Amino acid sequence: MYNIKVRGVLIEGNKNYHDITRDITRPILDKKTPLWWWIVAVISSVMLAWGAWAVYNTMTVGIGSWGLNNSVSWGWAIINFVWWIGIGHAGTAFSIFLLVLHQRWRTSINRAAEAMTIFAVLQAGLFPLIHMGRLWDGFFVFPYPNTRGALWDNFNSPLFWDVMAISTYLTASFLFWYVGMMPDFATIRERTSSKIKKYIYNLLSFGWTGSARSWLRFETAALLMGGLTAPLVVSVHSIVATDFAAGVVPGWHSTIFPPFFVVGAIFSGFAMVLTMMILVRKIYKYEEYVTQRHLDAIARVLTFVSLIMGVAYISEIFIAWYSDSPYEMFTFFKNRATGEYAFEYWAMIIFNAIVPQLFWFKKIRQNVVIVFIISILINIGMWYERFVIVVTSLSKTWLPSTWHDYHPTTTEVAIYVGTIGFFILGILIFLRFLPMMAISELKGVLKETSIVTENTNDHE
Amino acid sequence: MNNKNQILGIYDDPDVVTHAVESLLNNGVKVKDVYSPFPLEHVWKYLKLKTRLPYATFIYGATGTISVFAFLYWTSVIDYPLTFGGKPHLSLSFVILMFVLTILSGVVLTLATFLIREKLYPGKVDPLPDPRSMDDKFVIVIQGDRTMDDSELKKINDLLKETGAVEVNLNNV
Repeated sequence: MYNIKVRGVLIEGNKNYHDITRDITRPILDKKTPLWWWIVAVISSVMLAWGAWAVYNTMTVGIGSWGLNNSVSWGWAIINFVWWIGIGHAGTAFSIFLLVLHQRWRTSINRAAEAMTIFAVLQAGLFPLIHMGRLWDGFFVFPYPNTRGALWDNFNSPLFWDVMAISTYLTASFLFWYVGMMPDFATIRERTSSKIKKYIYNLLSFGWTGSARSWLRFETAALLMGGLTAPLVVSVHSIVATDFAAGVVPGWHSTIFPPFFVVGAIFSGFAMVLTMMILVRKIYKYEEYVTQRHLDAIARVLTFVSLIMGVAYISEIFIAWYSDSPYEMFTFFKNRATGEYAFEYWAMIIFNAIVPQLFWFKKIRQNVVIVFIISILINIGMWYERFVIVVTSLSKTWLPSTWHDYHPTTTEVAIYVGTIGFFILGILIFLRFLPMMAISELKGVLKETSIVTENTNDHE
Repeated sequence: MNNKNQILGIYDDPDVVTHAVESLLNNGVKVKDVYSPFPLEHVWKYLKLKTRLPYATFIYGATGTISVFAFLYWTSVIDYPLTFGGKPHLSLSFVILMFVLTILSGVVLTLATFLIREKLYPGKVDPLPDPRSMDDKFVIVIQGDRTMDDSELKKINDLLKETGAVEVNLNNV
């Protein structure tokens, strides 16, 4: 295969199949939960509890407990919604785009990226729901025969498309993730000596046996499901972008938004994967599975995507000037670049378009600490991007009489912190109880990419 | 699965087991199944295994597209047409919902079909011929027969050994 030459050895340490089983199932079969796990779990639970209080506050007091006003009617809730959705694009991008591109280095990362997707999209879904104010009426968004005069949803509204796209994305990602884990659950089932674990993992594995016929159907089903889900990566965030682009607001009403959002989503998703995998490989000592070359590959992807982001920012500014619309000119040159939101605007430009360009230097790509810091900066930069889009545009639109500042309240901050807590807690549970790397896929690429044997030549 | 009357050839290399399946079949031995920790594509070819799952998925997707369009047409044009902004009731933007829900129906029903065809369900207990096939071994299962005499068994045994089996187990033959 050509990617042997491009990427080198995928799994280091001259492993055999049994080593992979042993290494990946170790954290699950360990009887003792490590101390750091409990410490992080307690911290994230406290964050989650604070968020739960804030959601309770929102439900009982109403949206008045947020800092929104008539002009800035979308605040932190929508910023965080888009931010989480963006992070939630990593899993599918990793699993499917890289599958289609024959990038085998995805195998040790895709499972964790998919888990991240699930938890991130769950968090994203929370924000529009509580933004309704009346959570218990949330089912109104689905089209069902009702007593409101048989009135149906507006099927031409991007907001309704959003509901369907995100529920579909969550369902499809979850099913794809789960199906991929079935053979690994079976591996754990056969390996554990505890009767309870055997029962639970057998339940989860659906009685998987791994016979030739099962594998054929499994591979076909996974390929079909993956192939069908792949276009969702593009469509979900395009639809989220349409929420903005369909609004006649300076800075939003632009055809660049859908591709800009999709690229931004993949950018933030890859950055979050990098953040997480650097920690995971360090803590679980998986440096032989997530090698320096894996980090290098992600960093290279980020460099390229960051260039696209830079081009998008520049073309937004150019079009604002070229359109000669005083409102667009005001939004970009006065309000964003030099106005009261200049800090957020320049933070966005620097963190997303400039800092990742450091990855051009091999020395920086190989320094795990710097790579980790840059990945965090990208996550922050992408949050600022959503802040710039949502708040700067809404706070100063067409009529100066409607101009209004926006400052988040404690409740809004607490909800955001709560979602981060939920995300971390979800990842912790994933790391402790579920196979964090696709064992069967790792074994599948082991021989072709990592072991040199006399049979190499006659194997395609 | 009935573990009785089976001859198990246990291998520890994916390429060796693939060649073994080929030569066993060439020698007229009926290979019942191959258990492996990861998919072996060439084995499917030798065992002449095929799946019609892609056709099913196509039908599910097409059904999804058509039924979503029918629903949107019925709600927006027949049941409760709303005119706003002079826009047509039958809108091109239906495409977006049709696209998204085609994917949803395709994914969910493909998975359901896979599980039904494979008879997989939570809690199913299906003992493996050899549990090591979940770890690092590849197991060829040959269905034994009461009419098989010792020379036939010996032939199979020798063939398995010849093709590189690290272990041959005869279960109650």
